[in-house]
Amino acid sequence: MAHLLAERKPYLLLLVLLTFNLGLMSSRIKSAGQRSILEEAILSLASPFLKAASWVGHGVSGTWTEYVDLRGVQRENRRLGEKIDALALKAQEAEEERQELQRLRDLLDLRDSVPWTTLTARVIARGVDGSARIVTVDRGSHDGVRLNQPVLTPRGIVGRIIEAAPGTSKVQTILDPNSGAAGLIQRTRVQGMIVGEGERTCRMEYVSDLSNVEVGDVIVTSGLDQIYPKGYTIGVVESIGEGEGLTKLVAIRPEVDFRRLEEVLVVLKTEGPPEKSAR
Amino acid sequence: MKIVRGVVTLGAAALAQSLLSHYGPALAGYCDLFTIVVVYYGLTCPPPAAMMMGTAAGLVEDSLLHSILGMNGFTKTLISYLVGSIGSLFMLNQTIPRFGILFTATILDRLAELGLSVAMGRSLDFPGTLTILQHGLGNGVLGLLFFWVAARLP
Repeated sequence: MAHLLAERKPYLLLLVLLTFNLGLMSSRIKSAGQRSILEEAILSLASPFLKAASWVGHGVSGTWTEYVDLRGVQRENRRLGEKIDALALKAQEAEEERQELQRLRDLLDLRDSVPWTTLTARVIARGVDGSARIVTVDRGSHDGVRLNQPVLTPRGIVGRIIEAAPGTSKVQTILDPNSGAAGLIQRTRVQGMIVGEGERTCRMEYVSDLSNVEVGDVIVTSGLDQIYPKGYTIGVVESIGEGEGLTKLVAIRPEVDFRRLEEVLVVLKTEGPPEKSAR
Repeated sequence: MKIVRGVVTLGAAALAQSLLSHYGPALAGYCDLFTIVVVYYGLTCPPPAAMMMGTAAGLVEDSLLHSILGMNGFTKTLISYLVGSIGSLFMLNQTIPRFGILFTATILDRLAELGLSVAMGRSLDFPGTLTILQHGLGNGVLGLLFFWVAARLP
């Protein structure tokens, strides 16, 4: 009997298990969809697996998404950085062109406003020490440039031609201590000699101690030197001191910014100096 | 030890099946990891252990799928018994016979499930012959991979 049972054990077990499952199914159907205690128990046993699956899934999914996002952000960041660099360069170029255009427009206005033959020139070099006492422009004798021709900007007098090579010329600015220009105070018509002081200022000499000069007075060319046309701005009075003898020493701040001098106007022919201000 | 290993295998199958149905529902339609586990135990364990595993796997699958509790338990118990019986008669340790038994077991499982549904008066939702065959093929390939991995585990 025992031998028979052992031999038939798989069949018996199969029968028991199948009956058990059928019983579960029928109980479920009878309970009209409500879960039995056994089903609840099995679900409770399975729920940790479900939670683990969800946790692992979310973790993997989140990590992957963040990784992909991070790669995307890095790539986007690099691309935007390159774009910003390119745009900054373009903006810089545009700003440069805008400023150049403005300067050229001012020069054009000046050229149209003066009754002389003029020539636009570009500053291509300064003194070896970086000062603006002598500057070189890209126009020379081939363009009609000659010695002692005045050089202007829309803001005022720059200087005069002291050397004219075929393709370039040297301009002695009014900052040069060896330069000299006849000037007058626009408000009171007091005359004097404008001499450069080297770096960034000039002084007006031979101004009578009795003359009426005030800080802020505009100094213009008088035309008496036969070089600079009359009435063009040189600068403004910065300070007033005592000169030699019965004279005043008037310090002048030139209107032209010589450190940023780029384009100038060379006056080729003057036919009668007009009383005209460049300002 | 064998019981612990069985529980761990069942848990891993439940976890993998859940992940697959959540993140690859299209792929999950072609894979029934519980059937693979049942076939593996049917071929490698004595019939009582295989049948116990079949019932346990079926009940866990029922609880995961929210189907009638006992339905997959019934079919998988039957499958485990049949696989165990066939495994004791034939050599099924080669790739093609293993694929064949996995393929057949998967299709039988689906057909038994459909038959039970009909027997219980539920509406028959026949997925189509091609789908069932695809299911069998997918499970056969995945089952071979499972056998390959299981053979290399300590």
